[in-house]
Amino acid sequence: MRVEERPGIGGRRRISWFPYLSLFLAVLWVVAFTLYPLLSALWYSLNTYVLGRGIVGFVGLGNYREVLASQEFWHSLGVSLLYALLAAPLETALGFGLAWLVHLRPPGYRAFQAIFLAPLFAMDVAVGYLGVTLFSQQGGLLDHILRRLGLEISWLSSTWGGLAGGLILDIWLWTSFCFLVSLAGLSTLNEEMYEAALLETKSSWTVAFRIALPVIWPVLSLAFLIRFLEALKTFGLVYALTSGGPGTSTLLLSPLVYLTTVRFFNFGHGSAMGFLFLVLASVFIALFFRQLRRVVEA
Amino acid sequence: MGKEVWEKAYALLEAYREGKLSRRHVLSGLVRLGLGTVAAQRFLEVWAQGKLLPSAPEAPYEAPVTPERVAFLRKKPYQGVTINILILKATVGDAVKYMAPLWEKETGGKVNLAEVPIETLYQQIFTDLTTGIRRYDAYMTGAWFYGDFFTTDPPYINPIDDFLKDPRYPYWDPKEMLPPMRELYTWKGQTYGTLFDADSQVLYFREDILTNKDYQRRFKEKMGYDLPVPPRTMKEMHDIADFFTGWDWNGDGQPDWGIALHAKVNEQGFFHFLTLAAPYVISKDNPRVFWFNPDTMEPLINSDGHVRALEEYALFMRNGPRDMLGWTLGEGWNLFLSGRSVMEPTWGDLPTLAQDPKASKVKGKVGAAPIPGTTEAYDPLAKAWRKYSLNRVGNVNGGSWHMVISRFSKNKEATYDFLAFMANRKNYFFLITHGWTGVQPGVKYAFFPPYGTGSVGEWEAQGWDQHDAIAFTRAYYENLTLPLQEPYLRIPGAAEYWRELDVQVSNVLAGNKKAKQALDEVYAAWQKITDRYGRDKQLKVYRASLGLK
Repeated sequence: MRVEERPGIGGRRRISWFPYLSLFLAVLWVVAFTLYPLLSALWYSLNTYVLGRGIVGFVGLGNYREVLASQEFWHSLGVSLLYALLAAPLETALGFGLAWLVHLRPPGYRAFQAIFLAPLFAMDVAVGYLGVTLFSQQGGLLDHILRRLGLEISWLSSTWGGLAGGLILDIWLWTSFCFLVSLAGLSTLNEEMYEAALLETKSSWTVAFRIALPVIWPVLSLAFLIRFLEALKTFGLVYALTSGGPGTSTLLLSPLVYLTTVRFFNFGHGSAMGFLFLVLASVFIALFFRQLRRVVEA
Repeated sequence: MGKEVWEKAYALLEAYREGKLSRRHVLSGLVRLGLGTVAAQRFLEVWAQGKLLPSAPEAPYEAPVTPERVAFLRKKPYQGVTINILILKATVGDAVKYMAPLWEKETGGKVNLAEVPIETLYQQIFTDLTTGIRRYDAYMTGAWFYGDFFTTDPPYINPIDDFLKDPRYPYWDPKEMLPPMRELYTWKGQTYGTLFDADSQVLYFREDILTNKDYQRRFKEKMGYDLPVPPRTMKEMHDIADFFTGWDWNGDGQPDWGIALHAKVNEQGFFHFLTLAAPYVISKDNPRVFWFNPDTMEPLINSDGHVRALEEYALFMRNGPRDMLGWTLGEGWNLFLSGRSVMEPTWGDLPTLAQDPKASKVKGKVGAAPIPGTTEAYDPLAKAWRKYSLNRVGNVNGGSWHMVISRFSKNKEATYDFLAFMANRKNYFFLITHGWTGVQPGVKYAFFPPYGTGSVGEWEAQGWDQHDAIAFTRAYYENLTLPLQEPYLRIPGAAEYWRELDVQVSNVLAGNKKAKQALDEVYAAWQKITDRYGRDKQLKVYRASLGLK
């Protein structure tokens, strides 16, 4: 960084402190809100914490060993991965499909654009509780319609029903994000390229998959990555429907960390789970970018 | 005057204190007992000095009230004082919200209420206490949080015994509370909680259906014995649930159910299990040990008694909709209130809500009884089953939500004043007789003679059906005064212990695990929790909670 020196009174050079101050504030922000909590969580993960008595002993990697030996952790991680692996691709595909339809500018496309974006403004826990009114077997709208069609699903009291309900809500909520990103990507495409492609084939879907999709692939991949990581962290949607039950069968990783850390003050285990999740997410991100780089270079 | 006359005179004065008799009636009664008119007047005045007045204009929302309180209120003692209280976002919290403006009018003080859902209440209380924020003067607490308040010395909360002796505060008497309930509001002989909710689970049933002659005949044909009203044993309860499941006994054209349960995990469903499990473990040979071995702190939760209790509890899932597994309280109660379930073991909210004709089809049809017993109970210390003619066990399961004062409060006097205001007879009676408040009765004056000093007319005046009021209060009283009571878990981390149990009970109800495997897993999880909190420390608190040295 170049610090500007200006002539001062008596011809002495005056140093401008503004760049230092700006840098200091930025560093302070990172230290206060990123580094300190991270290091603090790391410290908790290496200790045993008891409510009312604070840290009562250093256990080294003991918390990590216990978490890794816990069936509950692996189960929640597995359910979260399954959830993310289903939600993220479906939302990305649907978002792209809807964006393509809007991009073709059919009559009333602006209204559809607004409708597709509306869920972005909803809070996930609120959507979760909305789901209870949709899926409840005591007068839930969706449940009522499905029963009329002869389908009986225990949405709120079975493992698969709960997960399916959560996924339906997740897809409704977050497809709009992928739609928005896809739409932005499509708007950067060269119009002449479309027209030329449409002369070659009469199917607009062929143009979508052969021309548009490869061109916006890097952008769409990022949308997928963001959704995948967000879906891994999902908290409110499924929890509002089932509270993680029956048992812990629909308990995703985020609510497990929340229950462990915040509700029962087991900061040691909760922090260890958080760090293990951080490692996992970092591995996913690294693998993803390596793969993306290969695709882009190819 | 002879002893008998004195007793009659004091009975008159008590009725006067409770507002049941006017001053004129008492005076004429005293005269009839043989006192002259002047002597009777003098007698009444002397009694009233430092005693209780049935009401006073200075205290329009309190009855009875002490003369000192009346004088105190004339000064508007809390003008400019604001108190902050953390309450549960639920019916019991609504009750506090209702009472706050009344107290403000009377005293000049101001109450700020912060509401939080049940999922975060525990976390909010202890974050406030342990991180130095300490913004609240009082907290609404579940009785199972008590152990955590006593992890420091002095404890996080303030005893109220000194306040209780001071007649300037609103009058209420902890001795009016039934013993098992009073125990939940105290710790090592000191009182910490002010009278509020008194949770306990009893069995509610459709008396009109169980006494239907045709159904009784059909029950006898199928089961080989007379339909028992109410069921007295778990076997009878299961038989009734089985008999009334899957056919239209209420004439609405739809098949109905034998039982309603609210069994959602991470809610309050596991209290069902605790309530129904009690007579499988607690008995006259083992009256106090349910949770842990009091010598070693080894969990007893996977004993043969607990396992059988869970196995038999899980059988009830076939007697209600499959969705019960995902139901919270309201959904469970709705099935009974809509007239589609013949029984429900739950809290006193159910009969109270049944009085609302907009929400209920069962007003005037609600029977109630203590939870059925067993004829066999397992002693987990002696590791032996023992037979009994009938082993019934009462319970105080639930939150028994009430307020405690923070040790760090800077306005303890005003805070106690408000809490005592809600415990005053006039306000408390209003709370226990109105379903929307969620406050359950735990004092003698709520019950009718021969049990207590209340009158059914008072309940009818609040909109209750006479039959329902008598059935409810009798069952509630009998349950709370049974010689055997299920011990309540009041040790640090109780919420965490219960969560492990809750999850595994839910697994068994869903058919994901066998009872033995599930409770073995609870055993292992409880051992880890105990080790984390410190076995010796936990043992000490656990023994204290059982009244052992």
